[in-house]
Amino acid sequence: MSALLFDRLHSGLGVVLDLRASQQALTASNLANAYTPGFQARFIRFDTILADAVGATESQGMTRTDALHVGAPGDLPSAPPIEYVDPVPWSVDGNSVTPEREVIRMTENSIMFEATSTGLNRRLALLRFAASDGKAG
Amino acid sequence: MGFIDTLSITASGLTAERVRLQAVASNLANARTTRGVDGGPYVRQLPLIESVGRDFGTELERNLAWAQVTEVANATDPFELVYDPSHPHADDQGYVKYPNVNILNEMVDMMTTARTYEANVNAVETTKQMAHVAISIGRG
Repeated sequence: MSALLFDRLHSGLGVVLDLRASQQALTASNLANAYTPGFQARFIRFDTILADAVGATESQGMTRTDALHVGAPGDLPSAPPIEYVDPVPWSVDGNSVTPEREVIRMTENSIMFEATSTGLNRRLALLRFAASDGKAG
Repeated sequence: MGFIDTLSITASGLTAERVRLQAVASNLANARTTRGVDGGPYVRQLPLIESVGRDFGTELERNLAWAQVTEVANATDPFELVYDPSHPHADDQGYVKYPNVNILNEMVDMMTTARTYEANVNAVETTKQMAHVAISIGRG
């Protein structure tokens, strides 16, 4: 893959879009099981993933050739860490889904999905502009 | 995993909530029914919902759960006994067995069902919107 056209920012945006779509699937699953006894709500903890990726310096150009290798700082995880919500102690049936929290997470997630895709669109527009000798705009 | 999977999960949730509402409707309609098909009073219907998932695929795919109504069971709580010897359905001691339906519980169930159904409809809308955004990537 050309480092010039499709750099880490470009592939990073794609990974984040994937993660956001995965989070939407998890939210759908949580809401569908809002009354399933013993069901634990699941979610992807974005703040730590993104903080790790943003706060780290540029990747040192190392390639992970084995799943057990430690990732270089700045790499986004290929498999998102999925966290479980523990039910509250007074929960009768062990279900830990809070519908209002899920709806809020869903709204935030779709906004971030749109924001990320806007970022991706801007980069593609930039490439199109460069590819057309600066004539198209 | 894709948006189609997400929609099918939400659909399973909508179905589960609809069955729950059907049970509430049946319980409310028969709250004072003293003779059912088997000769006894009406028994409160209780849909049993279980989460069904895949045990293969990526970590994400193994964590997705579809809601499924496995059975609509008879509730086992005791019937309400009312002393009314003049009632044709009274037993030898003059007691009439009324269904084990608690109107207040049914109303609460009905409200939570309606809200959860709405939340699932909301999820359909959001998934649809995200899919539209994804389709238009690169259109400039």
